[in-house]
Amino acid sequence: MTEATRDIQPVELLINGIPVRAEPQMTIVEAAWAGGVPRVTGVGCLEGVCGSCRILVRRGKEVNVALGCETFVEPGMEALFLPAPGTPRHQYQLTELADGWDIQARFHEIFPEASRCRHCHGCVKSCPKGISVEEGVKLAAAGHYREAGEAFLECVMCELCDSACPEYIAPAHVGLFCRRITAFFHLRPPNLIHKLEELKQEADKKEQP
Amino acid sequence: MKRGLSLQAALAAYRADAELAPLPDQPDPDALLHAYHPDYLRGSMTKLTIGANAGADCQRELADLLQAEAFIDEADLAGAQVTDTDVLVVGGGGAGCAAALAAAERGARVLLATKLRLGDSNTVMAEGGIQAAIEPGDTAQQHMQDTLRSGHHAGDPALVAALVGDGPETIRWLIHQGMQFDQTPSGDLHTRKAGGTSAPRVVHCRDYTGLEMMRVLREAVKQHRGIEVWEQSPVVELLSNERGQKCVGAVLGSLADGSMRIVRTRSVILATGGLGRLHLNGFPTSNHIGATGDGLVLAYRMGAKLCELDSFQYHPTGLVHPAHLYGKLVTEGVRAAGALLLNAHGQRFVDELQPRDIVSAAIIRECREGRGIHNDNGVGVWLDTPRLERSQPGLLEREFPKLLTRTRHVGIDPRREPILVHPTLHYQNGGVVIDVDGATTVPGLYAAGEVAGGIHGRNRIMGNALLDIIGFGRRAGRAAAAAEHDRGPKKITLEHVNRARRELTLAGLPLEQRAPRVLPAYTAAGKDIWKS
Repeated sequence: MTEATRDIQPVELLINGIPVRAEPQMTIVEAAWAGGVPRVTGVGCLEGVCGSCRILVRRGKEVNVALGCETFVEPGMEALFLPAPGTPRHQYQLTELADGWDIQARFHEIFPEASRCRHCHGCVKSCPKGISVEEGVKLAAAGHYREAGEAFLECVMCELCDSACPEYIAPAHVGLFCRRITAFFHLRPPNLIHKLEELKQEADKKEQP
Repeated sequence: MKRGLSLQAALAAYRADAELAPLPDQPDPDALLHAYHPDYLRGSMTKLTIGANAGADCQRELADLLQAEAFIDEADLAGAQVTDTDVLVVGGGGAGCAAALAAAERGARVLLATKLRLGDSNTVMAEGGIQAAIEPGDTAQQHMQDTLRSGHHAGDPALVAALVGDGPETIRWLIHQGMQFDQTPSGDLHTRKAGGTSAPRVVHCRDYTGLEMMRVLREAVKQHRGIEVWEQSPVVELLSNERGQKCVGAVLGSLADGSMRIVRTRSVILATGGLGRLHLNGFPTSNHIGATGDGLVLAYRMGAKLCELDSFQYHPTGLVHPAHLYGKLVTEGVRAAGALLLNAHGQRFVDELQPRDIVSAAIIRECREGRGIHNDNGVGVWLDTPRLERSQPGLLEREFPKLLTRTRHVGIDPRREPILVHPTLHYQNGGVVIDVDGATTVPGLYAAGEVAGGIHGRNRIMGNALLDIIGFGRRAGRAAAAAEHDRGPKKITLEHVNRARRELTLAGLPLEQRAPRVLPAYTAAGKDIWKS
């Protein structure tokens, strides 16, 4: 920091209940480090793609969730680092989904709550990436897996939407499931397959002189 | 360093449609590297005095850690809970997950321990893509030549042959795990050309390749019945047999409650990544918070041989502005798509698609000679994204959503404003010496991913890191799962720690510093986690 920025008034806020004086340009993570908040281990990439620094933020009467590495300090703000999300409750193995024709039935077996969305917008409001979570879940429940997966392109798996969902839909995992089965069943690139065939023939030739 | 233009003055002078002078004649690459690359900074290197690499050149800050004291001794092991497993994987990034999945596919019981959350790694931030020679006319041989040449022929040809040979099959495996890649309208995988390569062969998922890979692999690992995951569990020390010559397990600390646990195992796979958070030579870094070189420290104390400890990659285009993203990366894909680098005078000064070490050295030269652009954070040059947008409208939004999204909330739009960039500490070129199965020189100890060395020589090219972590991660996982049970007595000791301590004392080195570092000091106001 240069001389010029030192003259600027510090920002006072609460992080994990501890009063912190921070510089105005700081993120919540930087302010926690600078302000002597006991070590926070829910920090990863520091550029908003790992989804680990989940925080609860209160500004006045408004409460929301966000990522601590891309939320900037504000006077009077309260921020609380949330624990890491638990193990996914929706269990599946891609290799057990052998047949694409029964995929809709299997989807509803694995994610029975996905068709019970009550459109509360909790997931949309909690998403730090601005993903149309609710719309994505709707597409998935209707079997449009490619479009649903595309809606979750920028999902960083912070799973804040999972915490916000009163029906326990686990939207982040629904989105990831949609992306994975789209690749698993449909991504068959001719140039890659051609190269794999070529390599296989070369290997066969080497084996039988 | 001579002062260049201020950010405001340079922005005011900048025009996306300005006529550009032709690229000036380029100096000899070796002379450029010796004069400006941080590896050649005076005082940057020292010689190791103990261990398998005694006498070898090593970066100074790394040498301090490699020749440090362990956190624990025998007394700490008394009463610790013991867990038995077939394969212990240390590290929860791409290499660790690939290794765990490969070992579990072979029927091994796998424990994956990671010091932060599963997936907190450099993998998740990788943007540009993954190399595989799949285009017609491209071959594994060409890929091998590009890798060796860009690495200044310091790479091990057997490892490089394994790397490039794994390319196409690795992409198929990733698709089978459920990873998406961008396609052309006809369904082919879309490829980009990386700096220092002879053909387009980087496949990608927009500029979110690492994120897409990591969320898929994390889910695959968490869903796999044969893999147990311990998060917030850094390895504090490895365990050896009574002669200190074979790795038989590890001691895991807990960031949650400070406890220590012992894991006994047939084989340990180190997949701990790199060391950007040591901020070598005072550089900012693109790396995640856990990149503190722990695997190198653990392996070296166990007696493993390391290589290229004096060679690191400073990625040419780290962000200088905005402040909270200082050192974070702009993917080389943007240059591959045609973006140019301009100095404060609006002049090109290097062929943007030269290997990374050369481009970085050229940027450092411009800044040092007063042709850089300054703001409060530091100095840099322009990455001319508006000119790219002008020549190919819509390209940035279509192919580089992360680039646009990351700075949107601070009001910066790279389509209108060029990006201020400076080299940032990005990658550990060397590491633990391995063979094609990921086996280190210590029996029972494997290494995969950035912690391992010998593949990228003295400079890595774009897209080879993601190929390395999956290809060698799976190789290490398969080999570790196939390792024989020990028939002898199952004694677990810290004999290797005692041996290292004796060597330190004999060499007259201080015993105050302890390693592995686990997290950078600034994350806890200078406090270490265990003891001291």
